[in-house]
Amino acid sequence: MIFDPILDLFRGEAITTPPLDGAFRANTALDDAPVFATLPEVDNLCLHRGRVLASSGSGLYALAGDADPALIETFPAPVSALASSGDELAVGLANGTLIENNTPVALHHDITCITALAYAPDGTLWLANGSDKYGPGDWVRDLMEKNASGSVWRRAPGDGFERMAGDLAWPYGVLPDAAGATVSESWRHRLVRVEGGGARPAFPNLPGYPARLSRCADGGAWLTLFAPRNRLIELVLQETHYRYDMMASVPREFWIAPALSSGTSFLEPLQCGGIRIMGVHKAWAPSRSYGLAVRLDAAMEPQVSLHSRANGRRHGTCSAIEVAGEVLVASRGGGVVLAPEAGEAK
Amino acid sequence: MMEPVVRMQQVTKVYRSVPAVKDVDFDLMRGEIHALVGENGAGKSTLTKVMAGVVEATSGKMYYHGKEASFTTPSEALRAGIAMVFQETSLVPSMTVAQNLYLGSEAFINRLRGTYISAQQFLQSLNFAVDPTAMVETLGAAKRQMVEIARAVHHKAEVIIFDEPTASLTPEEKRHFFALLHRLKNDGVSIVFISHALEEALMISDRITVLRDGELVASGPTAEFDRDKIIAAMVGRTLSGALYGSQGQRRVRKPGHKVLSVQDISMGSMVRNTSFSVFEGQITGIFGLIGSGRTETFKIVSGIFKRDFLRGGQITLDDRPVRYYTPAEAVGGGIVYVTEDRKSEGFFETMTIGENFLGGHLASRQGGGWLVRTSTMRGLAEEWTGRLNIKAINPDARVVELSGGNQQKVVIGMGLIQKPRIVIFDEPTRGVDVAAIAEIHQILSELADAGLAVVMISSYLPEVMNLSDRILVCRQGRIVEELSPGEATEEKIMYAAVH
Repeated sequence: MIFDPILDLFRGEAITTPPLDGAFRANTALDDAPVFATLPEVDNLCLHRGRVLASSGSGLYALAGDADPALIETFPAPVSALASSGDELAVGLANGTLIENNTPVALHHDITCITALAYAPDGTLWLANGSDKYGPGDWVRDLMEKNASGSVWRRAPGDGFERMAGDLAWPYGVLPDAAGATVSESWRHRLVRVEGGGARPAFPNLPGYPARLSRCADGGAWLTLFAPRNRLIELVLQETHYRYDMMASVPREFWIAPALSSGTSFLEPLQCGGIRIMGVHKAWAPSRSYGLAVRLDAAMEPQVSLHSRANGRRHGTCSAIEVAGEVLVASRGGGVVLAPEAGEAK
Repeated sequence: MMEPVVRMQQVTKVYRSVPAVKDVDFDLMRGEIHALVGENGAGKSTLTKVMAGVVEATSGKMYYHGKEASFTTPSEALRAGIAMVFQETSLVPSMTVAQNLYLGSEAFINRLRGTYISAQQFLQSLNFAVDPTAMVETLGAAKRQMVEIARAVHHKAEVIIFDEPTASLTPEEKRHFFALLHRLKNDGVSIVFISHALEEALMISDRITVLRDGELVASGPTAEFDRDKIIAAMVGRTLSGALYGSQGQRRVRKPGHKVLSVQDISMGSMVRNTSFSVFEGQITGIFGLIGSGRTETFKIVSGIFKRDFLRGGQITLDDRPVRYYTPAEAVGGGIVYVTEDRKSEGFFETMTIGENFLGGHLASRQGGGWLVRTSTMRGLAEEWTGRLNIKAINPDARVVELSGGNQQKVVIGMGLIQKPRIVIFDEPTRGVDVAAIAEIHQILSELADAGLAVVMISSYLPEVMNLSDRILVCRQGRIVEELSPGEATEEKIMYAAVH
């Protein structure tokens, strides 16, 4: 016993993942939610001139709850980010192109991976550049290589883009305000505050990989998390040689890594007793994919969350927006836009 | 008419001028299961202890097979054919199961292998899955209880008294136990069955006798009783509503500050990567089957067990990582664990209530040094006896002389006296009568209302469902599910606990 303080030095840092409790308490709100629209690989949502827009592949669609999605425009590359403010509509493409009001915008040569766009109230455009090594479609590889080469940029009206923060581990959501912006940093499972050149942690240790942020009318925000953290993936992320062997020899869809959807192939990792017992798909199984949208208050503290659990299908939630007091959540893994009752999760 | 095997007439037992049992008449017929029910302190244990020679009656007579009998020791009663299985096990922890089974009946020369084979056959005949070569100290409470029961059966007694035999058994083990009772009954063995689980008494017994405050208040065939009638006889009022009121009427407390966060703690195969948080101002109910690792998890939190050396997870108290090596350190951090095994771990049974409270006071390092004033001890005893409504014959009563419910209150008091922020109650109402259950539930609720973080580990679903503000379900060493009281049903909880 008396040696314990000395032995502590050799115990090594524990790999831990935070529990889904408190504001993150698991529920079935996303799985129970009515479908607002069905759109394969639906990714980013935004509200433009009173219409709900959604990106899917290289197409931009207008959504209405009572009609099929209407294709508005097709781009030469998959759409990786959307933002709107008044009449402005910014579309980021996976090839590193930014199109604003149908006009390509010249970007700094370091911006190659646009993962999120957002307009500040004063018209400033904020841009998240996920990585300087890979495009938005290669996010799994970026995670497995444990890169932290992302950056956040800002363009004031009539000005050029300026780098606000660098060395970020896949910034995937940006929420500007008068003083700066809150950014979701996926690989570090946290929100950071970007102000005056630099990033500082704002909400650490999220239970999953955070994606996009969007503003609510009351000053709060919706944050989506597209995949859960689990012990196995955390372990793989610590085992460098194993990880590189896996990347070299195993098809990418079967890596032990987060996913936007899972359970579609018997070759996937994390099966057997971990997922099912006696044919029962366990809701609390340590799955690779998950659906989670979190309501944050104005101080960016989680208030309530909406879940699609391991036994659900509405996973890979990459975007949520508030429309006339109601929330819409895009489940990329499930290929649907959902209109859950946020109050149910309380 | 058939002659009773045991007949007790006008039996009175007085402790320090206070009668524990007063003028009780009790008959036990051959081949019957006779349930004895009553609140803690009603005199059930005292009456059966007189029968089994553990204590001598102050007055009254006992007839065994029609002849007047008075046993002065348990061994004398056992030789005559009366065995008692105690609520708290009386096994020798440092001996194997087989050695305990044959304790007192060994031959001059014993062949250990033969003893084990014989014990194995005997345990299998009872459908008890217990390894005869296992040391008793390594067994859980349920298996110890099985060994205790097997030992009584092994003595081929004509009368067996079971005091709360099912408290620590799983539903499956209970089924085996009840089948065993029927077998014994068919073999002509007379059984006294003391239980607080009234449904069990109603299901298994042929006759029921109800005691209240040491007096017999009702006795008759089981068919004449139902749950409400028994409770009314036991306490003189209907407690069902007070105990387990409908969920719609209760208020669910909102979570306060997250005081404790446990992330991926592991301990061998018993606790495996379990994560959860505990919030102030709430009762966090923990449900799990026996062996699910719930007790072990919270013993790690409270410094009794140590988590794995490498990658054993992390515990944070107020966002500050902590690793407790002893319970005293956890107490210093404001975490108190109220044990499920009160006799072994909860109190000093031969000390007085005041001395026990003083022990708790000193453990919290609030005592102020080695010298202790008697007035401090008396003050503590008076204060906490009143606050917890502990019923004792006199203030200097030893804890061993108290009823199960009052003993439990002493254990709770010893914990609360340490001024904790997080109180972990492990099976707080196990082996406690219905009136004391209500009082203990009230204590838990008041603690949560006062802003403490209360954790309640329980095997009893209605208790978990009706008292908890959030319900965590443990399975195979891991918290697998969290349910709110509004959505929780017995089926949902059991589903998570089993799958």
